Amino acid sequence: MSFRWKQAEAPVRAAERGDPVSQRFSDQLIAVLPRLRRFARGLTGSATEADDLVQAACERALAREHQFQEGTRFDSWMFRIVQTLWIDQLRAREVRKEDGDVAEERLGSDSAVRTIEARLALAEVRRAVQLLPPDQRTTLMLVTVEGLSYKEAAEVAGVPVGTIMSRLARARIALQQHLETGGGSRRSLNNAEAQ
Amino acid sequence: MQKRSDDTLVAYLDGELDGAERQHVEAWLAADGAARDRLAGLAQSASLVRSAYADIVNEPIPERLIAAARGETAPQREAEILVLKRPGRPIVTMPAGRWGIGIAAAAGLFGLVLGGAGSYLATGGLNSANPAAEQRLAAAAAHSTWLDNAAGYYKLVVSAGDSMLIDVPAGGDTGEALQKISQNLPQQVRLPDLKPWGLNFRGARLVVVEGRPAAQLVYVTDNKAIGPLTLVIGASKQPDIQPTFDRRQDVNMLFWRHHGRAYALVGQTDIGYLWGIANDVAWQLDAI
Repeated sequence: MSFRWKQAEAPVRAAERGDPVSQRFSDQLIAVLPRLRRFARGLTGSATEADDLVQAACERALAREHQFQEGTRFDSWMFRIVQTLWIDQLRAREVRKEDGDVAEERLGSDSAVRTIEARLALAEVRRAVQLLPPDQRTTLMLVTVEGLSYKEAAEVAGVPVGTIMSRLARARIALQQHLETGGGSRRSLNNAEAQ
Repeated sequence: MQKRSDDTLVAYLDGELDGAERQHVEAWLAADGAARDRLAGLAQSASLVRSAYADIVNEPIPERLIAAARGETAPQREAEILVLKRPGRPIVTMPAGRWGIGIAAAAGLFGLVLGGAGSYLATGGLNSANPAAEQRLAAAAAHSTWLDNAAGYYKLVVSAGDSMLIDVPAGGDTGEALQKISQNLPQQVRLPDLKPWGLNFRGARLVVVEGRPAAQLVYVTDNKAIGPLTLVIGASKQPDIQPTFDRRQDVNMLFWRHHGRAYALVGQTDIGYLWGIANDVAWQLDAI
């Protein structure tokens, strides 16, 4: 059962405005939405921000539909758009500073909250991912979660394959170290993986 | 490429090495126990990362994203959601004080609980010849009563305001406090962090929903358009259901069941926010 909220106004189809949208293109877009949301969630660490990002990516993709090359991977093309928009947002908001604040906020400002959250095994993994630098986070999500090859991830990120390899290794090692120093949460992490 | 490095181990795990490189790494692993341990740790962390994000692809897709993908000019989220008006002021004005507030709130609560109980009694009085149908009706009535109770307790919190009676106040060792309240519950209660939504944990209350103890977590905010919100967590033997919207008077609720627990996120904020917060709560708590 899924929940749908009421629309304030019936949206106007682009086709009705004399701007027809390729049905096939839209179908591809809708099919990849779940993975785009997951990728965006990994980048932003927030459900709302992730959906805002995906919505913006959809709008940009439709505006640049002609730039998509048939025969190439549609999901990779969309990942690239999401990543580009996210980086734009990071730069616009000077999130190097803001990101640190948010990460600390999400980890909880008092030790009691942090103690409780440490028990949330997989939530802790997601928080650890949020502590990675943006380029490592992106690479980790593309390769480890979305299953892209190094070459495909390199094309999405616009960097050489060697860079993907080193970013990924740094990300995985940093993540492992963070999880290992989780102390009491270690057992619950093992349990979470076993489930 | 450096042959004996973490880069190589990670690439080996990801199946990104060619034949000769792979053989080289396998020979290295065969001779080096520390490298094998390293590899196992890296494999485990990769597996955890995949698990941590696995469920997101199964979530319902928000309407606005489908509209955007179809090239429809979907209005922004604020316009897209159903905005509900908050009550201007409490219906009953009583002198400040716990008893006065308690009486006013209890009156509202009584109405909601009575409504649920009435439907339950009505169901019992049907005396259906079809036991399965009767069972379904009873389950529906119980579900309704559960939501009535959750809404009633929410109204109690709103009516009480700062005078709200809290069994376990926030601050200090919240972990220990939650353990204390969990002693009266079938399962340990964990605390979702809703600070990214601007919601601060105010405290927890032990409540009785459908005759069984449950925890009511109370979150407050200065933003009157969002809070206060409560999250009721109780035990359930019913099958899992996805978040479902329901409403009692001016109170909005998202209710779901997962792995023997029933959850109700209750508030007077608009549905879009409630839905986003419910996703966040489910994301944090379902990971257990």
